[in-house]
Amino acid sequence: MSVSLVSVMFVSAGLVALGAFISAWKRQLTGAVSGLPVMFAGAGVAFAGVARFSAASGAPLIGQEMAVMLAIAALAAVGLAIGLAGRESPR
Amino acid sequence: MDSLHAIGFYVSAALAGVGGLGLAFARRHQRRALALALVGLGTAGAYLSLSAGFAAVIALLCYAACALLVARPDYRTVEQAVSAVWRQVGAIGAALLFVALAYAAFRGDFVHATFYGGPFGSLSLARLMFAHDALATEAVAGLVLVSLVGAAAAWRRERPRDDREGRS
Repeated sequence: MSVSLVSVMFVSAGLVALGAFISAWKRQLTGAVSGLPVMFAGAGVAFAGVARFSAASGAPLIGQEMAVMLAIAALAAVGLAIGLAGRESPR
Repeated sequence: MDSLHAIGFYVSAALAGVGGLGLAFARRHQRRALALALVGLGTAGAYLSLSAGFAAVIALLCYAACALLVARPDYRTVEQAVSAVWRQVGAIGAALLFVALAYAAFRGDFVHATFYGGPFGSLSLARLMFAHDALATEAVAGLVLVSLVGAAAAWRRERPRDDREGRS
């Protein structure tokens, strides 16, 4: 059993499509926004896979850097969406 | 890559997929939070299998924070004004996207290279983020700061009484 870039890309495609499905399917806005981290996870896995298997020249860890940035951006997107939705009851 | 890493990668990918499906079909927000945490765990495991240990730690922290945000009991649910037909069209679009991306992955001719980095790579990554790409890192940090400050300001804002009681 081994992992190649093709299998990494397949997993990445599944996560991106799953995130798109969540964003399209959920009726609530905050639920739909929670599909964004799944899409970002898919993109991050693809970047990390390219850095692991196919970075022939240049900075080889740039894919890992992108994965880190995407995880942080996912947190910012979810925080912003839930913050904008507001509280249900006053304090 | 040895068999242990390969098994770890596939198990992590399955975990992330199960978490994503749970996120799509769970009705209560506590379960959605649990599913999002599962996605984060799977993603971090996949990063770890791909010798991206530092990215795995950051992903685990960020997705745990996302799950905690979704698990809050007092956020307001906002219904989208989208009909069921358009939601189904979106779901079919997501399936078509998966088919297209999977086809591109299978038909792609990728370059193979030998990986010389370590399993964690925090030093090399820090050198890359804070020296080579410092401006991009600062831009992302600024974006995150603005979005979190905006979210906190919006969260603190009191809603009108009529809106709270469901009257328009």
